[in-house]
Amino acid sequence: MILIRGYPEYMRESIANVEATRAARLKQTFSAMSLAERDEVLNKFHPDYKPEGKRRLKIGQSTDEGFPHELANLLEAHPLVQPGDVDLKQVDYDVDILIIGGGGAGTVAALWAIREGISPDRILITTKLRHGDANSMMAQGGIQAADRANDSPLHHYLDAIGGGHFTNKPDLVKAMVMDGPKIIKWHQELGVMYDREKDGTFVERHGGGTSRMRMHSAKDYTGMEIMRVLRDEARNLKVPVQEFTPAVELITDDKDQVAGAVLYNLETSQYFVCRAKSTILATGGYGRLHIQAFPTTNHYGATADGLVLAYHVGARLRDMDSVQYHPTGAAFPEPLVGLLCTEKLRSMGAQPVNKDGHAFVYPLEPRDVESAAFLRECYGKKLGIETLTGLQGVWLDTPMIELISGEGAIWKNLAAMARQFKRFGVDMVKDPILVCPTLHYQNGGVEIDPTGATMDIKGLFAGGEVTGGVHGKNRLMGNSLLDYNVFGMRAGIAAAKHAKKAHVGKLTLNHVKGYERMLKEAGIVTDRKAPMVLPEYRGTAALSRALDLDL
Amino acid sequence: MTEETIREAKQEVLGTITIYIMGKGYEVPSGLTIMSAIEYAGYKFVRSCGCRAGFCGACATVYRKETEHKLTFTLACQTLAEEGMYLVQLPFVPAAKSIYDLDKIELVGNTILEHYPEIARCVSCNTCTKSCPQDIEVMKYIQAALRGDAARCAQLSFDCIQCGLCAMRCPADIKHYHVAQMARRLYAKFLAPKTPQLDVRNKELEDGKFDKELDRYEKLDKKELVALYKARDHEEGDSS
Amino acid sequence: MGQSGKSEQKPKAAITYYPGCTMKTSATNYERTALAVAKNLGIELNELDDWNCCGVVATLAKDDLMHQLAPIRNLRRLQEKGEDKVLVLCDMCYNTLRQSEQFIQDNPDKLATINAFFDQEGPYKGGVKVIHFLQYLRDEYTFEKLKKKVEVKLKGLKVVPYYGCMLLRPKGCAIDDQEEPRVLKDLMETLGAEVVDSPYKIECCGSYNTVEQKELVAKRTYRIVKAARDQGGELIVLSCPLCRFNLDERSRLAQEMYPDFVPLPVMYYTQLMALAMNLDPDMLGLEKHYVDPRPLLKKKGFLHTDAAETEMSD
Repeated sequence: MILIRGYPEYMRESIANVEATRAARLKQTFSAMSLAERDEVLNKFHPDYKPEGKRRLKIGQSTDEGFPHELANLLEAHPLVQPGDVDLKQVDYDVDILIIGGGGAGTVAALWAIREGISPDRILITTKLRHGDANSMMAQGGIQAADRANDSPLHHYLDAIGGGHFTNKPDLVKAMVMDGPKIIKWHQELGVMYDREKDGTFVERHGGGTSRMRMHSAKDYTGMEIMRVLRDEARNLKVPVQEFTPAVELITDDKDQVAGAVLYNLETSQYFVCRAKSTILATGGYGRLHIQAFPTTNHYGATADGLVLAYHVGARLRDMDSVQYHPTGAAFPEPLVGLLCTEKLRSMGAQPVNKDGHAFVYPLEPRDVESAAFLRECYGKKLGIETLTGLQGVWLDTPMIELISGEGAIWKNLAAMARQFKRFGVDMVKDPILVCPTLHYQNGGVEIDPTGATMDIKGLFAGGEVTGGVHGKNRLMGNSLLDYNVFGMRAGIAAAKHAKKAHVGKLTLNHVKGYERMLKEAGIVTDRKAPMVLPEYRGTAALSRALDLDL
Repeated sequence: MTEETIREAKQEVLGTITIYIMGKGYEVPSGLTIMSAIEYAGYKFVRSCGCRAGFCGACATVYRKETEHKLTFTLACQTLAEEGMYLVQLPFVPAAKSIYDLDKIELVGNTILEHYPEIARCVSCNTCTKSCPQDIEVMKYIQAALRGDAARCAQLSFDCIQCGLCAMRCPADIKHYHVAQMARRLYAKFLAPKTPQLDVRNKELEDGKFDKELDRYEKLDKKELVALYKARDHEEGDSS
Repeated sequence: MGQSGKSEQKPKAAITYYPGCTMKTSATNYERTALAVAKNLGIELNELDDWNCCGVVATLAKDDLMHQLAPIRNLRRLQEKGEDKVLVLCDMCYNTLRQSEQFIQDNPDKLATINAFFDQEGPYKGGVKVIHFLQYLRDEYTFEKLKKKVEVKLKGLKVVPYYGCMLLRPKGCAIDDQEEPRVLKDLMETLGAEVVDSPYKIECCGSYNTVEQKELVAKRTYRIVKAARDQGGELIVLSCPLCRFNLDERSRLAQEMYPDFVPLPVMYYTQLMALAMNLDPDMLGLEKHYVDPRPLLKKKGFLHTDAAETEMSD
């Protein structure tokens, strides 16, 4: 197979079409869809609207909406840890606050709990990979905050709630937009390197569905820049972190509170009993479930563990019928399939273009609409480009960015991505890139109130991607970094306040017994166990010969 | 598009190669990343796997091609496996980090040097730069730190994913990525220009300027919200 | 005062300049005054881009190629930019770079090893001349010409030139007579100052022992400064930032160790040149000194600012 600057010949033919129309398209503006047109493309092409992709759960608090099968399978599964497996009388960690998840929300929660008066050695962050291994580290384009004079939390509120199809919880949206500028100020004090003009004004751009330019960025490493500063600060404060130690089941007590968790050392197979006055779920998303066989932008550990843990203790999960597919995941070359190509590309002028070189959609529709439009172009109108593995994508005309912003704009603002493509032979300055929708964000999740407390489950708090209600059925770009900061902060504060007066009773795993009973009564017979912890990517050839000799 | 589908397709189109994982040979489909190839061979990652996209530094890898003596440093998720690759991964780097309170620091010329005195031992051998999978001029940013230029150190080091390969190879035992992290925070907090508008908006919020309207929005029904949403004016001026 | 009324425009002498780390941190006043003086003399000093720390001290071991990398990397960079000479302010940097150049001239096989290490960056072929600013002023600019630029004669200022080691030793590096150097004497006389000789003018200040064995250095400080004072000197003039630190900053410790010790103010020759050439006094950076030279300079009429006076009396 001959590659010409990274692309096979047949793709080069299509790229020639893109080049031929570029000059004309620079002057063209494609108008945005009306609400009715949005609904139409979503209904016909968005994966969420395929009834065969989901089912209603037979057990638990959330039996009223459809859950993707991949997630339903984890909820209609046996808990990994059964009461007889562990001795709860020997407590290995006794803390005020247990934070499950070492990403953005978890770290922010720890920092604010300390500000609220909890001593760092009374906190434990436990995480299945390393501190910082999370989707938070991978976010690229930006964080929204309504700090400009021509903008306001009111504009931000409308953008967020409209983008979420008016299904967001109003009190959560209000909390998020109000706290935006405060978070930016806090970041500034921590030393986060946001992009700024020479006079200090933040560089702020549009994202999909925004009415004001309020996306703060740090090149295209925004998530990484924030996460590494937060992590450095947590290290300076000596917050205890246990790595490679996922929580595999929550612990409850005889007062029906969440009282900590069973932790599991992945390297020694040892379990630990952690008693905690407050427990915060900050476990992130579920991209590695590959819902409807989509590739994903998510990190290795995004397996919905927090949802499973929360459901076991009776939490309510909301908006699980809505999955966010990011319209522009890389579709080629293969090593990059599914990886995020930030929305900032489109903010900076790269147009989506079909195989004949024609623009076919307003570049900055909210993500679900944009994704559906791409899927329609490929699978409906058959105007996509197919890769060697059968995946269909459309072009994102990245050379336009340099034509609009000047030579060097891509390497200056989008170095992370330019580097990724360069590693595999593609020069996104000279050539368009191929993109297709990729599984990106868990819109819904564990329901919380504006303080970060889960509804009705005493002692359990949550922040970040694992929660539901903030974004309704579709999240806008830049609101997830804001979400984990705002609700990580609120959950940390609430958990601290709770810990100061909470009393933990006798530790139990009775809720596991209850869950098993529910499974039995619902007639669910299965070998499945949950949480998943890590996805299975071993080659089937090797797996087929795997033998557990229990050495 | 599952991992397995991709692997099968590659094998069909591109054939197989042999790679040596810590010395043991395995036949894998051609066209996979080192990470995918290792998984194909039957290894399930616990360590050495993070974002799978080149942002987190978990999969730092050292390899040598069969006929070469040169070691190459890279990320497993961002590099294609090649025929005759002898590889090993570096899952952890025991690098000491200076514990500091940013609020108590007074930024002067030798602040960074005080926290990381070992940077004065830099012999300018440039091994760190050659070990960096992100094309960062590591030695240059250490030199900038040495002369108290936090701004330059911050700018040069920005793309650092903290994989630790530089620190492991340095003959002077410098912990480059921790030095750079400090420089960036110092630069952003003390040296970067600031905008007064941020404080203006935060004061407005504290004073409750938007409370009444936001409370009103919170209680609107869907019809009213839709009307407001449709009536939004859009700020022009992007794509630039 | 040309007949034609048109001023003669001499082409500016341009030379690449290597600063070294100290010029950017604790000796910014030396760099600032040097650059201002150079500008005033029509000498264009262009800072080398992408320079790195010189390595600080020339390695004494014959086979320690690792510590040759830092200085040679700078020489290589100069060569890459097409330069065949470099001007240096800091005596330590001068000495380190100069010795490295000598080392590779004397050991072509070691150079070959170093170049093999530089495989990705390209080899150094040798031949870059390392020049100290004092050398340049004396040999290329000349003190004759400099005299014409003196506007304020430093009359009545009794200065004691102090050389230390780095410009004089080892032999291959010496820019002057190793036993009886005179470049600072000649320069000071050009500026109109009264030069006082001191028997300790070429004694080592203690150099890097100041880090781990401060008392050793303070002992030398005491001896060197006392001798200068005993000879009738009012101010020590020197060219090395480390000597400045040891004779000035370490006076503090010397005062603790020797109750009878009375320090002297210590200045760089470029600061005195700036005064004599009547350049902006605000950029002299005299507030960075431990022993404040300002009271003395004010008393002699060379400084007219309302500088705060320390309790140091002369």
